[in-house]
Amino acid sequence: MVKSIAQKEFISTLRDRRFVVLSVLVLLLLLAATVVGLYSYHTQQQERDVAQQTVNHQFQNSADRHPHRMAHYGSYAFRPKSSISFLDFGLDSYTGASVFMEAHRQNSANFSQAQQSSSLIRFGEMTVAFVLQMLLPLLIIFLCFSTFTQEKETGTLKILLSQGVSLREIAWAKIAGYGKTVALVVGPALLIASLLLFGRSGFEWHTDVLVRLLLFIGFYLVYFFIFVVLSVVVSGVHQRSSTALVTLLGIWILCCVIIPKASANLGNTLYTTPTRAQMDADVHEEVAKGIDGHNSQDARAEAFKKELLQKYGADSLSQLPVNFDGIIMAVGEEQSTKVYREYFAELTDIFQKQNRVSEWAGFLNPYLAVRNLSMGMAGSDFPHYLHFQNEAEQYRYHLAQSLNHIQTTRLKYKDKTTRLSADTWKELAPFTYEAPPVQWALGSHLISLVALFLWLALVCTLGLRLIDKIQIA
Amino acid sequence: MKPFWILIKYEWLNFRAYRGLVILSTLALVAGLYGIYYGTTEVERQRENIAGLEVLTQHNVAEMKTKYPSEADAGDIGYYHSTFAVHHPDSWASLSLGQRDVNPYYIKLRLLNLQSQLYDSENINPLKVLSGNFDLAFVLVYLFPLLIIGLCFNILSIEKEQGTLPLLLSQPISLPLIVGAKLTFRMMVVLGMALLLSIVAMVWGAVVPDARIALWLGVVVLYCVFWFGMAFLVAALQKNSAFNAVTLLGVWLLLTIIIPALLNVYVSIRQPVPQALALTIKQREVVHGGWDKPKRETMEAFFVRYPQYRDTAEIQGRFAWKWYYAFHLLGDIAVEDLAKEYQSSLQARHDLVQNLNVLSVPVNVQGIFNAMAGSDLPSYLQFLQSATHYHDTLREFYYPFLFKQVGFTHADYAREPRHSFTSTSDMPSAKNGLVKLLLSVLVVFAAGLLLFRWKEASVK
Repeated sequence: MVKSIAQKEFISTLRDRRFVVLSVLVLLLLLAATVVGLYSYHTQQQERDVAQQTVNHQFQNSADRHPHRMAHYGSYAFRPKSSISFLDFGLDSYTGASVFMEAHRQNSANFSQAQQSSSLIRFGEMTVAFVLQMLLPLLIIFLCFSTFTQEKETGTLKILLSQGVSLREIAWAKIAGYGKTVALVVGPALLIASLLLFGRSGFEWHTDVLVRLLLFIGFYLVYFFIFVVLSVVVSGVHQRSSTALVTLLGIWILCCVIIPKASANLGNTLYTTPTRAQMDADVHEEVAKGIDGHNSQDARAEAFKKELLQKYGADSLSQLPVNFDGIIMAVGEEQSTKVYREYFAELTDIFQKQNRVSEWAGFLNPYLAVRNLSMGMAGSDFPHYLHFQNEAEQYRYHLAQSLNHIQTTRLKYKDKTTRLSADTWKELAPFTYEAPPVQWALGSHLISLVALFLWLALVCTLGLRLIDKIQIA
Repeated sequence: MKPFWILIKYEWLNFRAYRGLVILSTLALVAGLYGIYYGTTEVERQRENIAGLEVLTQHNVAEMKTKYPSEADAGDIGYYHSTFAVHHPDSWASLSLGQRDVNPYYIKLRLLNLQSQLYDSENINPLKVLSGNFDLAFVLVYLFPLLIIGLCFNILSIEKEQGTLPLLLSQPISLPLIVGAKLTFRMMVVLGMALLLSIVAMVWGAVVPDARIALWLGVVVLYCVFWFGMAFLVAALQKNSAFNAVTLLGVWLLLTIIIPALLNVYVSIRQPVPQALALTIKQREVVHGGWDKPKRETMEAFFVRYPQYRDTAEIQGRFAWKWYYAFHLLGDIAVEDLAKEYQSSLQARHDLVQNLNVLSVPVNVQGIFNAMAGSDLPSYLQFLQSATHYHDTLREFYYPFLFKQVGFTHADYAREPRHSFTSTSDMPSAKNGLVKLLLSVLVVFAAGLLLFRWKEASVK
């Protein structure tokens, strides 16, 4: 009986011309979003690859330079896009693409896509994730809103119940039937997207990418399931189709349009972001209390000098076996970096507190939960961006200190004129970036993960309990 | 006219009795008030931050004065002292924040090469800017259409579904009068709210009262009327309530989300902006290459731009500030074309959107709001140009010290040029948008009327 109800829902949906037209439209949008996503992924990635190769080449073949000059010449880190970010651009359009890495200074990540667009970009971007997050729930609502109400309006529900099935069995059968229909719409699109993803890498097996993709798909399936059950339940508790529809559309507007924006804005109001100028000034003030690598005359540097001379039993700095210029530069870099990192950690902590509001709002709204998880799996969320920024900062520090070390060991004290050849710079490995593994990504979205599955449990238990209480007039 | 007012009166009684509609309208009002609160606090915060920059500059000057107690070499000051180019919001920005949260509203500048400083970004939380601003423009452009849809989707169909339409028509009133009265009543409610919110926002945000008040109110009215026209058009199809709700929401989705997203894709493909990364790489190469070039060569190239310093003293020794700043300038000159191209490509992107916004009324209206508030991309580009100009004046201020070897005294800090830029509204494009909006309204109503006439026969 349950099977035949499911089959009936499935077949009658397929016979409904309006639904077929809408599904085809959604499917076309999904395919368009896939193609567009791949295209922009390709152009951006290529641009960044070329830029990265150019700067690496320039660094390794640089003119003969003093090591500290090389430290100021610096290098760039261009953020590579994660390979499945074409499915969900996430924050990528709003985060900077390039970081200039030099001695003493931590620079911002510049040139985001959003800065290079007019306000049109704020209406949203056409990505697979957008279609899956916003449009499919609407399709599901449209599919399911009248499933019980119509049976009530035409009196068929009574007849069904007289066959000896319970309301709960009917509900599950309907859910199964609609689930099958939804799978028919998203299945082909996701399959094509996966094929494109793996086709590009020559079907090479990257376990991490595969797991990310499977989880990406899995989370969306849970999300769709939640909406199917929710729609069936809402249809069950209403008497008229039109009121059921209006309720569901209201829920959709609240979940997909209003709450996401309101929660992000609320987070921003609750925790104030310091300006970059203020932060730089604070860092500068704090650093000024320590040793300045470019000023070996002040009291703190003097004390450090004495200590060093004592240690080596030397009378003057030129007698030291190592170059004091390089050493004080390294000490200065170490101190300023330590201060900067403290302030940067504070800043990211504020950002994370702001974002936490949206994460907790996932308990109110499955859309937010799936959005965070989706970005996390696609590698286009805030934690991934932060990871890149930290890696770039690590590299910057490492580069500056390596160059200070070269100055310490290969140059004499007060030597400002010797220039080392490009072979020296080839000893330093260029910046490479490896995105963190999937378990790291999942770990940073535990709240959203719990929220999504709580929603699943909630609609399956409480939701269906409401179905049991349906009054049949 | 009498039956018309009777209908309006009963609509009001109906509206009051139906809790759902009252809740919906209250929600829209609350959302609008929150939008106004958010917009004004955000602009207030930006103003405070800009005021804070002045404090930072003073702080920096004080630090310089202790570091260099007597006369200093202007080269050191140019290197260690920083000032800010600031982009003040227009008083209307609190109504429509536009891109002001994405684009930096100040730039920290030193005498070094400009192009490595001009594009530094502000501390922004990417998740927040992705979610967008909950300002009054958002409430009016996104949420008011939903309110209108909620109020009007069953304007005719509910009377049919409840069986009250034949009863009504048995009275000496015509169908157009019924629909007209119902639409008029809802328009009064929605327009009343929209205008009230707008005026509250103008007072709260203390906007400069000028022609923009009329323009803003006119756009708000026309935009709401456009959506009423859409509801009328769909009602004229004479389908059931569920069909109307889905269709209207579909239109909303198409106009406010799908078409803009597709347009964005089209614009970014049609008008690529590849210059940014090339520019940033090239300026570094030229600036740092300056250290290794013969000084005479660098100075000759510099004198082409500033011939007035040609007859100054020859550089002696390993290092001189004027030479250092000369090759920094050469770095900027080397990418001058790229920088111009970069900015003109961005402008071209914006212009392309302006041409295409006829495809989506919400995009057009958001564009009008942003143009009026001076919060869109062109304002930012003007700010960049203004900052570039400011950096030129800074150079011109410092060069005499460097080339004529004059010491930089404490009194000179106060003589250093300061920068201030306030975005201005772009009235021509706002008016252009208004014309397009008016045409859209006419088209929708004409289509609705035609369809209504054509279908009216089927009701009777």
